[in-house]
Amino acid sequence: MIGAGIIWLALLGPVITLLAHLSWSAIGSSLSAPGALDPLLVSLEAGGVTLAVLLLLGTPLAWKLARGTLPFPRFWEAGLLCSLLLPPLVIGLLLVFMVGPYTPIGEVLGTVHLSAVNTFLALVIAEVYESAPYYVLGAQAAFGAVDPRMEEQAALLGDRPAQVTRRVTLPLAGPGLAMALAVAWARAMGAFGAVIIIAYHPYGLPLQIWTTLQETGLASALPFALVLLVVALPLPLAAYIWSARARGRRRS
Amino acid sequence: MLEVDVEVDRRDLTVRGAFQVAPGERLALFGPSGAGKTTILETVAGLVPHARGHVVLAGRVLTQTQAPRRAVPPWRRRVGLLRQDPGLFPHLTVRQNLAYAPGADPSGQETVAIAAQLGIGQLLDARPARLSGGQAHRAALGRLLLAHCDALLLDEPYSGLDDALRRVLTDLVRSLVAAREVPAVLVAHELADAQAFADRLAVLDQGRILQVGTPDEVVLEPVTRRVAELVGYRSFVPVTGPDGSVAGVHPERVAVGAHPGRGVVLAGPVVAFRPSGAGWEADIEARGAVLYCHLADRPATGGAELEITLLDPPFFGPDGALLPQASA
Repeated sequence: MIGAGIIWLALLGPVITLLAHLSWSAIGSSLSAPGALDPLLVSLEAGGVTLAVLLLLGTPLAWKLARGTLPFPRFWEAGLLCSLLLPPLVIGLLLVFMVGPYTPIGEVLGTVHLSAVNTFLALVIAEVYESAPYYVLGAQAAFGAVDPRMEEQAALLGDRPAQVTRRVTLPLAGPGLAMALAVAWARAMGAFGAVIIIAYHPYGLPLQIWTTLQETGLASALPFALVLLVVALPLPLAAYIWSARARGRRRS
Repeated sequence: MLEVDVEVDRRDLTVRGAFQVAPGERLALFGPSGAGKTTILETVAGLVPHARGHVVLAGRVLTQTQAPRRAVPPWRRRVGLLRQDPGLFPHLTVRQNLAYAPGADPSGQETVAIAAQLGIGQLLDARPARLSGGQAHRAALGRLLLAHCDALLLDEPYSGLDDALRRVLTDLVRSLVAAREVPAVLVAHELADAQAFADRLAVLDQGRILQVGTPDEVVLEPVTRRVAELVGYRSFVPVTGPDGSVAGVHPERVAVGAHPGRGVVLAGPVVAFRPSGAGWEADIEARGAVLYCHLADRPATGGAELEITLLDPPFFGPDGALLPQASA
């Protein structure tokens, strides 16, 4: 209990410090500047698109990893771990070499008037790289916790595979998937390392904090940290509450 | 009618099973763990994609690996499978579990009637986590009944439950199989479970069916020494006949005293004994073998010689096959 309290307080320390150093006047002057809330919209939009990409592409991968239906499963997992282990800053640098304007991918994007550097697309790519491993590994664990015998029973009762997924697999994995998505969202909203390299523009919230800090100092940067917290928190919190309630219902 | 003739390559052995079960009939696949019983059951359910052979249920070919090939997926087989874990969906209520099969109506008359028949009518709005083991098994059974399966497969469903509950649930399934007139196959590694359930018993070992017969026939006339071992003959005593001939000793088919008209009479010292159920289990040394016998009365201590009769024991030749005639 004491250990739990210590680590909880330690983790909360920066948030408490943030609140302690904020003043209403600083918040007012920082947030009332023209265009001050634009990065907030950029962050929300990019985060939303990132989550959609993860759900659409990451979920099937996680399901296949959990069911062991991919050939050489350890190889696939090792790939995920590599992207998890690389520092985001390094990922950003490597992305420049991978999707920058003078690379084959960059040239292909150029033909359809797209660029993966300093654009909204670049911001989404950077956020996907920073959050995808967290989502896929979390979702894999969520699917892994679903007893395959449940799915087998549903099939024997007459459900086609798509119905089994809809009626059994997703509801049972749901709480775990929600938590994985919450973690991915937090990672995407706070993405900085890769973002600063390939998506300096358009600003999201983390970059706004960084540039404000450099230009006008900590006092005017901190309100944006509060904005980031307030904006990023509801989704994971809702996921956490829903997940806990869903698990609780199954036990009662 | 359920007709099964299948072969499955497992990592450790090839499992072969061929049998027919009539509507309303109950067959038990009995054998030790790893013999291939569940593999055969899963093949019937369509859960073993690499199985060879054929499975026909009520005139519908479910599996056929010879031309014209056919492999009906599990969701179209109309085959119900009950395992030791009732497998109720934890996120659904009992009512939703019962009426899970497409087409079943959770608030319909049939759901309510079957719940009442199974004694879980009061639990329709509860979640599975609140049910006892017996209630969960009743709900799982009800779910199969509402799915209107054409065959019932039972993979040791009640082996984790206490004896009384196990007997109640087995009787319930027996009566439902009779009422619905569907073929039923039970997998069991306990002989008593197989006997309590089945009209016919198939003894399986190392992936092969060694004998099929009525539950008493298989125990009283095992066709090989291996079958005898599987159905509970724990020791074998030499008898006259071809070299190496033996009589099987079933601990429960031993009578104290000499009854020459009823079997083989032996005598030997009691080397050890211990309580077993309401009687005693004794180790009696005779003809160079130690015989395990159940006795109603406590034997005398001090290595006293005891005369016993093996009641109509089966005799086996040196090759392990049943000998039609032999003598003590």
